[in-house]
Amino acid sequence: MATRVVVLSLASDFGCQVQLTNMTEEILDVLGVIDLTYWQLASSGHMPDAYDVAIVEGAVTTDEHVDLLRSVRETAAVVIAIGACANTGGIPGMANLLDLDERYAVVYGNGGEPKVAAGKRAPMPLDAFIDVDYHVPGCPIDPAEFLRTLSHVLLGMKDRVPDQTMCASCKVNETVCFYDRGGFCLGLVTRAGCGARCPSLNRPCTGCRGVASDANLESARAIIVAGGGRPDALETGLSVYNTAKEVRG
Amino acid sequence: MTRLTVEHVARIEGHGNIIVNVENGEVREVRMDIVEPARFFESMVVGRRFDEAPLITSRICGICSPNHVVTSIKAIEAALGIEVSERTKLLRKLLVYGSFLQNHATHLYILAAPDYVGLPSVFPLAETMPEVVDRALRLKKLGNDLTTAVGGRPVHPVSAVVGGFTSEPAPALLASYRDALLSVAADALATTELFASFTVPDFASAGEMLALTADDDYAIYDGDTAALDAGWRRPSAGYRSFISESVVGHSNAKHSTVGGRPFMVGSVPRMNLNADRLNDSGRAALAKSGVALPTRNTFHMNVMQAVELADASARCADYIERLLDMGGSSVPQPFRIRSGQGGSATEAPRGTLYHSYSIDDDGFVTHGDVITPTAQNLANLEADMRDFAPTVADRSEPEFAVLVEELVRAYDPCLSCSVH
Repeated sequence: MATRVVVLSLASDFGCQVQLTNMTEEILDVLGVIDLTYWQLASSGHMPDAYDVAIVEGAVTTDEHVDLLRSVRETAAVVIAIGACANTGGIPGMANLLDLDERYAVVYGNGGEPKVAAGKRAPMPLDAFIDVDYHVPGCPIDPAEFLRTLSHVLLGMKDRVPDQTMCASCKVNETVCFYDRGGFCLGLVTRAGCGARCPSLNRPCTGCRGVASDANLESARAIIVAGGGRPDALETGLSVYNTAKEVRG
Repeated sequence: MTRLTVEHVARIEGHGNIIVNVENGEVREVRMDIVEPARFFESMVVGRRFDEAPLITSRICGICSPNHVVTSIKAIEAALGIEVSERTKLLRKLLVYGSFLQNHATHLYILAAPDYVGLPSVFPLAETMPEVVDRALRLKKLGNDLTTAVGGRPVHPVSAVVGGFTSEPAPALLASYRDALLSVAADALATTELFASFTVPDFASAGEMLALTADDDYAIYDGDTAALDAGWRRPSAGYRSFISESVVGHSNAKHSTVGGRPFMVGSVPRMNLNADRLNDSGRAALAKSGVALPTRNTFHMNVMQAVELADASARCADYIERLLDMGGSSVPQPFRIRSGQGGSATEAPRGTLYHSYSIDDDGFVTHGDVITPTAQNLANLEADMRDFAPTVADRSEPEFAVLVEELVRAYDPCLSCSVH
């Protein structure tokens, strides 16, 4: 029987699912091997009771999300977290930098909060609530990396998220380091795997793939300060995508 | 009594529920509940450096992220008093149009078309009508490739920054896209013919219609805001003076009005206000669309998007021609950081997008404001549902459901955008 796959989203911009629709040709190739049972963005139909693989995008920001996630974990043999929001809390995780009620006041004004917003909570990545089997980080996900991970899932291989930082990728690309040009870049602590796309376009890494397991934060701070940067520049920069992960410790 | 409840409406971006109750031809209740959770973008940019704002706010939407990046950058440049080169403007237009091609092809073929051929999704069509799916994928891929060439990737482009671009595509690559754009002219026309062949309800939306307008271009990148019924044309930076927003209990997205009326943004208002600035390809497609302008029929949004595909492919080929000839630079020039306030607008695939920011002396954002196209459309969408539902209440329940969903999808709604 074909592997039954569902695609779900929590709080997100749907960008990772857009990346999935950008793989329509590849998805049409694997239909048959996988049965795309539920995908709200692309097809009418209801969430089924039984499925094998759940692909989840987005951060957890409501009580409803927590309930949904727990039931997904009970049902699915495999859960894949796609994108920065699901893996590190991503940009929604920045809401942890300020009191949640204050944020409602900034956006909706005082006392005008919509009723459908009940059960709000501080944004968190999926693994704050459930075990996640496979991780595809990045904002948005890289299609090639997603397809590689999906094939690992179908073949029963292990999750293979790179441990090293972005710096090795820049060396391979022959990109001159931003720190050698008096600049600032988060690639020196950020998880590799995207081919260092932003630095290769002359834009410093912004840390969307999360902090690499091999990252040496202390030494990164020393490099930043030696280059004339502020001592808290690393934390400030990382806070864009990694606040929820940091908050969790 | 006809009662319709659709939770987590499929084939739209984001999470929303439709609730319609019609009793003896009278509408008892009509709601579009926007349950998409808020992410508080306007509060997130406060305290961040000005150059982080486009990075952050582009995550409002994964579908029209090039629009958010460009609108945000333009608003910050307005606040800081930065002028950019003609070359930068043309490259930004390509970036935005890349997202138009991608979005329109996705919306028309993957999200909207299944309704009109009685299918749950586009996937079964790959077997029965492979040429249609191939055409959809060609258009979508070209849009993505164009955005990738100019911005570095299709979703959340990276090379567009305040002042210009961090890198540019090689001339040979640009030239290859000019040729590719000219070669999809037939696909764009075939898309118009396909959507012109679908029967749509005879319906007139009661709302005002707003779109950007410019003297020298089919306004996408910049322009004043024009109102069709009221007949005015106003600077877009002052959008807060003509658009009013209010919080409604059943929606995490605010509702908007202009002059006390709900209003529509998107391909129909754009075409109503700017059809005289279409290029020859756009005019040819418009002639095939079977639509007489001005139209108030919301269901015409689809075929008008198809006409825009025809216009856009030829227009982008022309922009590339100019880029290849003009020389100049898109490298950001040095500028002084100073305090200021600036607003800006672009046309996103589904309608006008407004951003504004206040910046302090040190370049940190003190206030941010965004009104997305879908947020502007929601009040009008509900008004349309209220007017439309009684006219089709005698249909069978599945037919009624499809018709109401078709109406919702015609707006090409982006609910995560609308809440943000």
